This record gives sequence, structure tokens and C-alpha cells, in this order.
Amino acid sequence: MNSKDVERADGATHAHALPIALRGVSKSFAGIKVVTQVSFDIRPGEVHALMGENGAGKSTMIKIMAGLHQADEGEILINGQPVRFASPRDAHAAGIATVHQELLLFPELTVAENIFLGQTPKTGLGTIDWQAMRARARELLDSLDSGDLDIDQKVASLSVGNRQRIEIARALAQDARVLIMDEPTAALAEADVQRLMAIVRSLRARGVAIVYVSHRMPEIFALADRVTVLRDGHHVATKNVSEVDEPQLVSMMVGRAIDRLYPAKQGVDGEVILELRDVSYRGVIRGISLKLKRGEILGLAGLVGSGRTETALTVFGITPATSGQIVIDGKPEHISSPEAARDLGIAYVPEDRGQQGLIRSQTIEDNIALANLKRLMRGFMVDAAKVTAEARKAIERFGIRARGPQQLVRQLSGGNQQKVVLGKWLATNPRILIMDEPTRGIDVGAKAEIHQLMRKLAGEGMAILMISSELPEVLGMSDRVLVMNSGRIVGEFDRQAATAEAVGTAMTRSYSREDAA
Amino acid sequence: MSSVSAGASRSTLQRFLGGYGQEIVVLLSIVALFIVVGFVNPRFLSDTNINSIFAGNAYIAIAAIGMSMIIIAGHIDVSVGAMIGVIATIAGTLAVAGYPVWIAWSVPILFSIVVSAGTGALVAYTRIPSIVVTLGMLSILKGGLISATDGAWISNMPPEFMIAQMRPFGIPSAVYFMVALTILAALFMRYTDFGRAIYAVGGNMEAARAAGINPERSVIGVFALHGLFTGVAGILFATQLQVIQSTVPPNLELTVITASVIGGVSILGGTGTVIGSTLAAILFACIGSALIFLNVSAYWLRAVLGLLILATVLADMARRRRAQ
Amino acid sequence: MTASKLLRHETILAVLTIIALAVLASLSDKFFTAENLLNQGRLMSEVGLVALAMTFVIVTGGIDLSVGSILGLTAILLGVFWKNLGLPLPLAIAGALACGTFAGWVNGFIITRFSVPPLIATLATLALYRGLAEGISEARSVRGYPEWFYVFGQGEILGVPFQLWILGIATVVSAVILGLTPFGRATYAIGANETAARFSGIRVHATKLWIYTAAGFVSALAAVIFVSRVTTTRSDMGTGLELDVITGVVLGGTSIFGGRGTIIGTVLGLILIQALKNGLALSGVKGDGTIVVIGLVLIGAILIGAMFDKNRGG
Repeated sequence: MNSKDVERADGATHAHALPIALRGVSKSFAGIKVVTQVSFDIRPGEVHALMGENGAGKSTMIKIMAGLHQADEGEILINGQPVRFASPRDAHAAGIATVHQELLLFPELTVAENIFLGQTPKTGLGTIDWQAMRARARELLDSLDSGDLDIDQKVASLSVGNRQRIEIARALAQDARVLIMDEPTAALAEADVQRLMAIVRSLRARGVAIVYVSHRMPEIFALADRVTVLRDGHHVATKNVSEVDEPQLVSMMVGRAIDRLYPAKQGVDGEVILELRDVSYRGVIRGISLKLKRGEILGLAGLVGSGRTETALTVFGITPATSGQIVIDGKPEHISSPEAARDLGIAYVPEDRGQQGLIRSQTIEDNIALANLKRLMRGFMVDAAKVTAEARKAIERFGIRARGPQQLVRQLSGGNQQKVVLGKWLATNPRILIMDEPTRGIDVGAKAEIHQLMRKLAGEGMAILMISSELPEVLGMSDRVLVMNSGRIVGEFDRQAATAEAVGTAMTRSYSREDAA
Repeated sequence: MSSVSAGASRSTLQRFLGGYGQEIVVLLSIVALFIVVGFVNPRFLSDTNINSIFAGNAYIAIAAIGMSMIIIAGHIDVSVGAMIGVIATIAGTLAVAGYPVWIAWSVPILFSIVVSAGTGALVAYTRIPSIVVTLGMLSILKGGLISATDGAWISNMPPEFMIAQMRPFGIPSAVYFMVALTILAALFMRYTDFGRAIYAVGGNMEAARAAGINPERSVIGVFALHGLFTGVAGILFATQLQVIQSTVPPNLELTVITASVIGGVSILGGTGTVIGSTLAAILFACIGSALIFLNVSAYWLRAVLGLLILATVLADMARRRRAQ
Repeated sequence: MTASKLLRHETILAVLTIIALAVLASLSDKFFTAENLLNQGRLMSEVGLVALAMTFVIVTGGIDLSVGSILGLTAILLGVFWKNLGLPLPLAIAGALACGTFAGWVNGFIITRFSVPPLIATLATLALYRGLAEGISEARSVRGYPEWFYVFGQGEILGVPFQLWILGIATVVSAVILGLTPFGRATYAIGANETAARFSGIRVHATKLWIYTAAGFVSALAAVIFVSRVTTTRSDMGTGLELDVITGVVLGGTSIFGGRGTIIGTVLGLILIQALKNGLALSGVKGDGTIVVIGLVLIGAILIGAMFDKNRGG
């Protein structure tokens, strides 16, 4: 009740017109606060950009607004009225629709039906009125300048851009007043990006409020009216886009001074151990050439979907190169499987720890043994004693906090799970270590430990290829930075030249036609 | 991966062909079979033979309608054959015991609905794969049937009970049932929210939940509906001959599942129509009959069915891979 | 694998089995005789052999419904090779075994090469293999095998049925492979998280292909023993075998979702089922009534397993 009075003081008409306002919202997961006291408003007919690094709390905020998570503290006001969303349905009812990154569609149903499922138009008999449904679908898509979409087509055969337009149409069919778009351009081709931006503008003209999450600076400056920046779960500022420039936004997002936190380089670089010559995989990565030296940490920067992980997967043999050459120690090698990569001394610490890195239902020692079975045998059997000894070694070496080698991995914290993955791969005695988002979802202390460890390994002669979406990590850890954009390498910076502005610009620029680097 | 940008809207004919591709293939196969086999052996086209193809297999087509719904919802039921055997036996026993025919018809159907809904609840809430649950169900029903009846045949059922043998306007009543139920089911699947929910749940369970559908309730509902169709199929099966053998018709579940799959229902769920399964059931009956008229041993029938399923499944997988 | 955690289910099962044996022994004095027990062992050998391979299949998160049909097809081919093609019996046996093994390989090939879900792939081959058996045999049965052939199904070594020796050896071999070798580790890893297994350098496809091929081989082996035991071949042999096998494996604690299970558990599950069947028969329940019990036991075992999983938490 108190807050209502405050609104009044601000101007009652204004508060009532706000389609959504957040007041002091906090949220914790497993005791870790991911969002702290965040407040901002979304006005009708504005494009409101939500920015921040990975882990800044953007996706948590989106999920709270969409009814997927419930805030621990604070409140959500819809038209000035406090509400509580128990489920996505409640959010829909309040006029909030979300276009998720993983589009929630039914591949085997038609475009028209995907738009209206759950709220189909009915005839007088209470049956589905297909004619009305198709007509309204047609109308909706036409209003989105998507008249070329066939409403009777099955969604399975449509491109990502088209699917996204269907999700947007679906939101409009629900009379959404707020449309949340989570990195809508991450997986889009350039032509589709332009189309999407046109659609967003026309929605704004109709008075729909759009919460637009994106890392891409050009889009923000071309589209957004206001921008809210989050950092480490805190609200940094909400500004009119006309009042800020790109370097200001970057420094708001990054915030802290970068260099001090990261360990200094030890030793000197050795000879080149891994070389990619014009490597491509289908259309996903194109003409990648790079050299990695012993003792070097090479940072691979870029937005999600820019081809960084895809490059790693190709080197690791998950998606073997379709053209070009991979040279290891001066010898061209054909890497057709992860097994082959491992036997060549390549280790890959994947991005998705839970799905790709670990078998969470198994024990620490089982996980560590999995990539090392050949070495841990006696005769034709796996030697249980060697397995346990190997696990103990890893626990000690990396300071894994666990009850013992037989503890289940899923009971460990994120940082300790990551150390188990590292333990598994370092036990294979690799010469090349690829680390994909090495500190994602890990608390600050464990993060520093992993950074120290990477430096130490490099100091001992390990060649490390690091992929990271956190700019400070890229800048702080890398001896050299390569920037990827749209499946290509578009920039190379040595330690001095690699500033947040330079790397950030290369990451976010749109490369429509010109080939870079 | 490029968007289809040909023409804003396709013609009605194109839409029809696109939506019912598999059904049309099956229909053309039936026609072709009739022409070719009829040419080789004209007796294939006799009234008696055509009647026996349609009337004698109507119960399979009706069971396949329910099975199609189950598969579209992303599940499977391998106990359907055993259930039909049980229904027939219960119905026959009640009829012989002198109960009114409407009781002899409706009690086993109700039994089928209740048991099937129970199976559905088990599948929906425990997340145990339906194949395993219905495999268990199969052995319970089969064992229960044989141990209760000792395999004794039931005969001397009152004539008014024998609904499948009635011939209004000279056409076997089983054919009326088959046609009517196929049309009703097709309308239901296309024009009701529940019908569309079945497709949604089979296509993408989480997206269905996000669209406000309760997937668990939908699964139980579709199993109950399947129970209804199985029940009707069981009554027709019970009344088409003068005796009920009190056993499980061998491999019936396989024939029913195959009819659904060949009729265009994707075994991975989310797509297909009930019209296709009815047509496919008729196609099988024709193939079975044709083998006899072409002097090919009927013993190869099942191998042909197996190959057909395998080919259809592989084609379905290839189609899905292309679509991605 | 930590013995203490995984053996919990097996311990419960062992206690259950002992209780069941004790109860059955007290109900009928015919039950606990050496003759009856050995005879029961003879009867469970075919199901037992297939269940060993099925344990691997289910631990990878797959299923094989076609094992009964492979048994039927192999039996028919054995008769055809010997009687119709006139091959010497040992050669006919080898040929039939090779065909059954190939049938299993085809399953694995369809599953790994075309990513068809195992359930669907083997449902199709269940029909196909049985159909081939029916088509080839045309309902004719083959009898009159030479006397020495009956050793496999009816003979004894040191007073113990021949096939029980085979089952015993196969049990030890598969327990060692699943529990102690890299292959076994790979099997568990694939069932628990196929992606992570692949990312750890495990050869996922090759492992699965081996396992389905092995399931074909043991089904074929079971066919030879079966034919030798009942002295005739018929195309409907092994119908419904998959149900008995899967029930035994699941009752033995192997998770239908993959990643968990042991050979010891499977063997205990098999013994419990066989004891129940036998005990019920001895106490006057007709043969088919026991199928009901198997169905109930299967659903019950999975329900309990599901509750276990929930208690463990994600």
C-alpha cells in the first residue's frame, strides 16, 4: 500500500499507464543471490534494451517477468497493480509474452495453428473455426510484413527467422502489451536481422512495449529508446539511449578494473603446436586460420553463435572439418572423432558442463576415469585401485572440495564440478587444452582458482585455447585475442591492443558483406 | 534452411496434397492392388471377397483409430490385442448368461475405457515409457484371460447380440461402424481443442505446457478414448463369428500398430491422421487377401508387414532429418 | 561403480528371493528338491542367456523387443539349413548362429546409423524376423535330429544340465565385462549421459552396435538350446520371450532409463521369477495364471524403481 502512495506522488496517471514496473526485485538460487534489489519500468511503446554480461542477471529478470521464476523479494506492478505470477499462464493473462531463445513451437503443426494453439477461434458449435483461424493468422502475419509466410506450411521446414516471426505473431494473438525478446538475433542471418528490426519498430508504433535483450551494440543504438544495464545482479543504470555512447555502455557493463584480478603471465611462448589452415565446417565456420603456441593462452572472443564453440568442436572431432587442414606439431592430421583428438593430445573442457562435460549421476572417480580408461587398466580390466588413486590425485591437485573419490558429481558445487572436468582431461596428459567458458556459473573464489590454474598450466608449456563470453576474462587472461563474428575470424589483438572497446567493437559490428581479416 | 516464399497462399488442392500425402499413397496402393490382382484373378473382385475384406477387418481399422491417437500423442499400446480378446470374452459370457444385449455390449467397453485410462495415468504421472507399462498390461490381460476361461470357446450367443453380422441395406454393419467412427474421429481430431492438444503433446510436451495445455490430463484422456475405440473393436470382433475363442488373437497389436504407422502416423508422435490408419488397415486386408489369390503363401504376410514398418519408419526419419 | 550404493537394490532382491524360496519350499515339499531346482535351472536358461545381453542393452538406455523373433528365426533356419539344404548339422548350427547374430547387428545398425529409437527399430524387426520365420517355415516343423544334438538342451555334465553350464559361464563373462572392463564403463556412461560419453572420447556408436549384435548372438544361442530341449523347430518359438527377459532385467534393478544395473541383479531377478512360476505351478495355479504374476511384478518393479529415483532427487 505504501508503494502506491509513492506512485501517486510521482504522478498517478503515469504509474497506471506503465505496462510493467519492477520494484526492488531480488532472487537467489541455492543461497547465491543472482539478482539484488533491481528496479526499473517499461513504458508503453518503447523498446527497452536490457544489457549486461553473462551472469549479470538478465535471464533471471526475464524469467521473473515471464512467470517462470518467482521473485524472493520486491514486487511486480502491472498498470500500477502489484501482481504475483505463479506460472507463465498468469504472465500471459497479464499481457506479457516472451519470445524465447529456444523457440517453443510444434514442428509438425502448421504456421496458423502454432500461432493460435491454446486459444483457437471457435465456431458457434464450439468447434475450431479453421477458416477464421487461417484468416486471422494471415492478417497477423501481413501486419508483421511477413505476408510471404505460408500459413499452411508445417513449422518443421521453416528457418529460424521465420519461426521467430511465428512466435511474435503468437504473442500478438494473445494481445500482448509487453513482448520480451531474449537475444532474438543470436541465431539469425543478416537479412533476417534487418527484417526483425523492422518488425520491432512496427510493434513499437502500435504501442507494444518491448524488452529487448541483446549484446549487439549496433542493434541497441538502432532500435532502443532506453537501456537498462545490469552487472553482477545489480541495477547499474537506466538511461535514454540518446544520452550514452558505446564505450560508456561497455564500461557500465564491465565496471571493474580488469587487469588486477588476473594472474600474470609466466614463462615465454614456445613453438607452434596447433595450426588451423582455412578450416571450415559446413556453413557454420568459414575459413578459420589460426596458430596456437606452447605456453600461450589464446582467447577466442565473440558473441554467442559467432562460431567460437563450433571451431572448438571441429578441432575436437565432434564435427570434423569439411574443408581445410588441421596441423599438429607440423603434421597434418585428420581428426574424425573425440577419441582421435584425445589421442593426439587435445583436451576439450566443454561449455555445457552438465550435458557435455560430466555424467552427474556418477562418482568423481568414474568421471575422471572415463577419458582415461586405456591408461587405468590391468590386463583387460579396469583397475579400480588405479581409478581411485587417479581421482585422489586430481582432488588434491585441484583442491576439489569433496568427501572423497566416490562422491556423486551432482552433489558438488559448480566450481568443483568444473575442476572434476579439468581433472578428467588433464589426466589424459594433453598438450592442447581447449576451455569453453571455463568459469561460467562459478562463484568468484573458484573463478580465481581456475584462472591461477590456467596460468600455471600455460607456464608449464600447455597451449590453451580459451573461449569466453566475459570480456574481462578474455582481456585479463589472454596473451592474444582472436575475435569471431558470423563464423569467421574478424580481428586479432595482442595483449596491449586488446582493449574492451576494440574487442567489443569487433564482436558486435555487423559484417554483412565485407570479409574481414 | 531458406524460407518458403513461393506465393502467399497455396491452392486448396496443393494444401490437400501436402497434408494428406501418405493417405493418398495408401489409397492409390489399394486401388492399384484391386486392379492388378483383379486382372490376374477376377474372383478377387467378387462381392463375397470384397465384403469379407471390409467387414472382416473393420475391427482392426477401428482399433487402429485409437492407436493412431495414442501414437500421435507420443505413446504406444502393445496390449491392444489382448484387450480385444478380453472384451470379446466378457461380452460373449454376459450375452450367453442372458443379460440384455446392451449390457453385454456396454460393460466390456466401459471396462476397456477404465483400464486404458488407468494405464494412461500410470504413463502420464510416473513417466515410465508406455511400451513397458503396456507390455506388463499385455501379460496381465493375456494371462488373466486364459486362466479365467481355460481357453473354453463361447458359442450359442443370442442372435440379437451378433451386431457385426447384421446387414442393414445389404452392407455389413461393421462397415458402417468403420466409416462412421473414422469420420467422427477425424472431425474430433481436427475440430476440437482436445484433438489438437493430442497433436501438441506428441509434438512438444514442454511447448504444450507453455501454451496452457495440461499434458498429463491429455495423455490420460487419449488413453481413455483409445479404450473406447478398442472396446467397440472388441465387440465387433466378438460378434463376427459364431464362436468366441477366448484367446488373444495372435499379433493383433502388431497389425494395429502397423496400420497406424503406414497410414502416416509418425512413430515419434505429433503428426498423422486417423483416416490414414483406416485406409492402411484396409490395405493390409487387401494384401492378405491378394496373397491368397495370387497363390503366394500367406505365411509371408507378416514379413511384408515388418518390411513395410521398417521402410516407413526409415522414410519418416529421413524426412525429419531433411526438415531440420 | 561404488559397490555399496549399487548393491543396495541387489541386497533387497536377494533377501526377497530367499524369502520367496523359503515360502515356496514350505508350501510344497516337491519344490526344494535337487531334481526340481535343476530342472527349473534348465527352464530358465534360454531366458537367462538373453537377459544377460538385454541388461547391457537397457543399461545403455535402449531396448530390444526383437529377441524372441530372432530366437524363432534362428530355430527355423537351423532346421532349414540341416533338413532342406542338407548341410551337416554342426555347419547348420554355425550358420543359424551367424544369421541370428547378423539379425542383431541389423538392429544395431538401424539404431546407430539412422538414429531410429531402439523401441521402434526393434518393434519393426520383431515383425520382420518373425515374419521371415513364418514365411520360410510355412508352418512346417522339423524333427528327427540326431541323438548327440539333444545334449545342448537335455544333457548333463556332472549332474548339472548342460545349458546351465553355458548360462553360468555366460553370466560370469558378462558380469566381468559389464562390471570390470572399459567396455562396461562405456556402457554405463552411454546410458547415463550419451553426450558426455561422446565428449569423453567414448565410441558410442561402436559400443551400441556391439551390444545389439551380442543380443542377436545370445538369442541365437538360446534358439539352439531351445530346439535341442523340445526336439523340434517351430516358427512361433520364443514368442513373448522379450517380456520375460525385460521383466527379469528390470526386476533385477536395471533402470529402464539407462545408466544403472548389474548382472547379479538380473540373475537374481530371473531366479525370483522362475521360482514364482514354479511355486505357483506346484501349488496348483495353471500355467497361464503365472503370466499375470509376471506382468504385475514388472509394473510393480518399475513403480518401485520410479519411486527410488524420485527419492534420490535430481
